[in-house]
Amino acid sequence: MQIFISTLVSGIVVGCLYALIALGYSMVYGVLKLLNFAHGDLYMVGAFVGYFAIQWFGGATALIIPVPLLIIFMMLIAGFGVGALGVAIERFAYRPLRNAPRIAPLITALGVSFILEDSVLLLFGGFTRNYNTPAFLPFRQSIHIDGVNIWSVQIIVVVVSVAMMFGLRELVNRTLFGKSMRAVASDREAAEMLGVNVDRTIAITFFVGSAMAGVAGVMSGLAFGQISNIIGFLAGLKAFTAAVVGGIGSIPGAMIGGLAIGLCESFSSSYISSQYSDLIVFALLIAVMLVRPQGVFGQPPLQKV
Amino acid sequence: MHLRRIFAGALGVMALASITVLGASSSAHVAKVAKASCSTSIAIEAPFATGPATQLGLEQLHFAQLAVAMANKANGTSITLGKDDTGLNPSLATTRTNSIIASKAVAAVGPAGSQEVEAVGPLYAKAGMAFVSGSATLPALATSGANTTFFRVVPDDDIQGPNDANYIIKHKLAPAGSTILIIDDQEAYSEGLVAVMTPILTAAGFTVNHQSYNGTDTGATLQSDFSSLATSQVTSATHLVIVPWQSAGNAQQFGQTLQQQGKTVTLFGTDGTDSPGQFIIPGTYVSNFGPDISTSKSAVDKAIVKGIKKYGAYGAFGVPTWEATTVVMNAISSVCKAGKTPSRSNVLAAVRKTNISATASAMGVPIQFKADGDLVAKAGYLFHINSKGTYVEIADK
Repeated sequence: MQIFISTLVSGIVVGCLYALIALGYSMVYGVLKLLNFAHGDLYMVGAFVGYFAIQWFGGATALIIPVPLLIIFMMLIAGFGVGALGVAIERFAYRPLRNAPRIAPLITALGVSFILEDSVLLLFGGFTRNYNTPAFLPFRQSIHIDGVNIWSVQIIVVVVSVAMMFGLRELVNRTLFGKSMRAVASDREAAEMLGVNVDRTIAITFFVGSAMAGVAGVMSGLAFGQISNIIGFLAGLKAFTAAVVGGIGSIPGAMIGGLAIGLCESFSSSYISSQYSDLIVFALLIAVMLVRPQGVFGQPPLQKV
Repeated sequence: MHLRRIFAGALGVMALASITVLGASSSAHVAKVAKASCSTSIAIEAPFATGPATQLGLEQLHFAQLAVAMANKANGTSITLGKDDTGLNPSLATTRTNSIIASKAVAAVGPAGSQEVEAVGPLYAKAGMAFVSGSATLPALATSGANTTFFRVVPDDDIQGPNDANYIIKHKLAPAGSTILIIDDQEAYSEGLVAVMTPILTAAGFTVNHQSYNGTDTGATLQSDFSSLATSQVTSATHLVIVPWQSAGNAQQFGQTLQQQGKTVTLFGTDGTDSPGQFIIPGTYVSNFGPDISTSKSAVDKAIVKGIKKYGAYGAFGVPTWEATTVVMNAISSVCKAGKTPSRSNVLAAVRKTNISATASAMGVPIQFKADGDLVAKAGYLFHINSKGTYVEIADK
């Protein structure tokens, strides 16, 4: 039972992070029909922002502000900073290619991914850095369930992730911006004709999606410790898988897909072998694609008759 | 007439002075030419910029740079060091090696990883170019016959593996008959050590639980690997976990995962995890092929400690690379002293004849090579990480 609970907790934590990144993929695909392969690297940038925020406030072992304030500050600055970076990327790398053939922005997205990775490498070097979270959030700050320690950081990750996901759902369903976003996702030209500021809607979509990836990066650093310039690639790939499994363009699908991938990875590592977890995750992707190509929550493409 | 004599005398003096000056400058020029003829270049391959071991690669680079500076000063040579980052990646190492072979470098230091040597060894062999590694320890690198110009200043895993296993047995790091978990990172170095240590531990009555994880995983996927391993494989019967990995950062993350799950086990890392800046789980044992020279009284070690200070903190990983670089530098210097221009073939021959005494070696053992490039001497060091995260060398092994 202990193994099951521990595996479940681990899977939910990892799944929440995948879900936050996957949401960005889905949102951008929804409005632009673009697979933003640089999205995983925005998560990486967020992790670095969080790391330097810790150093700015004295370092993990000599913090000069209370820990709750530090965490809030890290998430805010990573969210706003990476969100702004996402808007800049959209403005200069994707907007000029909005009417180009689909392959063009796809290749550009790959290029942006390499630029982000290599920029961080050149600026900060290739060696891994560690948040050293236990120094300011010790492991003894845990709740115990059936002999399993659930660390406070893991609880923070799940709570913040769920809050952000619900916040996004409310933003999309109950606000004017959400309505604009859904309109643009449904039919960009028609939305424009009806007076929706398409450019601004897309920019805000990028901001929100990138901000969520940035916050996911901070939480990843807090929960796992190690960060480097290459952590974005695999995380982005897994999150993309989650978005596709859930239904690319579907926000609930991205959430469920992320959790599914996280749990699948965790349980296959624990009960089969960590050597096979990637194989199983991507086999799941193929299986879903074969059975339901539009993803679990995706809409089948409309056929004109 | 008198004026003519004075004029002739002045001309004579001037001629004499000119000849003297010309002669002196000619000698200086000859000396300069002689010195300039010992101008050549070597290269270092190390993961100092990219990949999972940049901290260790940077240490190797700094020690190599120091060795070049010290040898140039001592030998009066003018040898430059080219830097090639390999990211601990065989594909990247191959690209770098081809670039080095196409350059004017007469010898190379590195690469760091055994998997990289497997990839580039045949290339260097074909080019007839010596390359001396300070950290590649897979036994087959020397015995396979494919790497005929490969040398290493460190003992191979057939030394490190049994040393570590026998220490574990002798000092009862795990209760007799208990389970020892050993996890490899699916790299040649790691799998090699597991293959050597497992039979020894099994013969001593331990149950060896061998698991693997993908050493190239990062971020959340890596954490999934570690959480699962800690959850499902580290049970109440497990007292010792051996992590023969090439990434100290990963070892630290795994150690913290164990702590978070409340698992109290002893960790045992090997040379790839030796990094006082990254792997600092208290109570851990870390073996290495390089000594801690910070408190050594030998003249060589004191000079290294003094010279390396400008690069910041260091562990025991860089010392063998200093030694490897010194081997190459000394070989080139010996070629020059014999009146020859350094070339790949004569430098290779000189490396084969390397004979550095223990007192002149930073490794604490004589540096001589067998015919297959392996080090003749056997050396191994063990450290224990104390409660403050400091590496303390264990004298009595």
